[in-house]
Amino acid sequence: MGEKTQLRIFLSLPSTMQLIYLLDTVISDILREMNFDEETQEHVNLAVIEAGTNAIKHGNKEDTNKTATFEFLIEDDKLTIVVTDEGSGFQREDVANPLEPENLLKSSGRGLFLMEACMDEVIYEAEGTIVKMVKYKQSPNL
Amino acid sequence: MQINLRHKGSVTILDIEGNLVGPNTIALKNIIDNQIQEANGEPVFMILNLERVQMMDSSGLGVIVAAYASIRRNNGRVVLLNIGGNIRSLIVMAKLVTIFDRYDTEAEAIASFF
Repeated sequence: MGEKTQLRIFLSLPSTMQLIYLLDTVISDILREMNFDEETQEHVNLAVIEAGTNAIKHGNKEDTNKTATFEFLIEDDKLTIVVTDEGSGFQREDVANPLEPENLLKSSGRGLFLMEACMDEVIYEAEGTIVKMVKYKQSPNL
Repeated sequence: MQINLRHKGSVTILDIEGNLVGPNTIALKNIIDNQIQEANGEPVFMILNLERVQMMDSSGLGVIVAAYASIRRNNGRVVLLNIGGNIRSLIVMAKLVTIFDRYDTEAEAIASFF
């Protein structure tokens, strides 16, 4: 009946930036197992690191009493990643476009842009404290 | 991550190895800031050799953009050497391709300063 395969991996991390490297290891393994091509692996890896940085550093302010959670939902045709933090959230429209000439030489503010450029879908929920990102095995743009 | 600092004449070369991601980027920022401080207002000519950098995130980009802005303020220049496909596509994506001069050999990068 063509039943979909689903696997759910859940990771809950105290909010210290040193654990970004653990996140990198986990997502790299998932992407290899899913047989994404090398370029897509690099893009998703970058998006997860950016989302993790946002949750740990900007959301939870590196407060180790707060956790950042990462849910990886693996399906035949796509990978869905849900990142949740315990911060006060943000409004996407309040974040400046880093590609505007006046922002090009700013040393920060590129994280959300890179996430959106690297993934097929990025949805902000609960005032930005939940970020849902999707990457399809076959790009929906093809 | 490892960073090797060397000088060729008035040119500072940083050979960077590893991923320029997250807290790793602080070490690079500190070395660049020290070089700018030691120059005491004189122009700094710097090559960032990224041949052995496989991955860079927005923090890494932020460090090299900040270096570009600080060094340019004193009429110096920072250029990129040996950037691989991943870093190249990141720089293109972030529209920084027009800002950073990029070279494939150290000799070309050094010659670009004179």
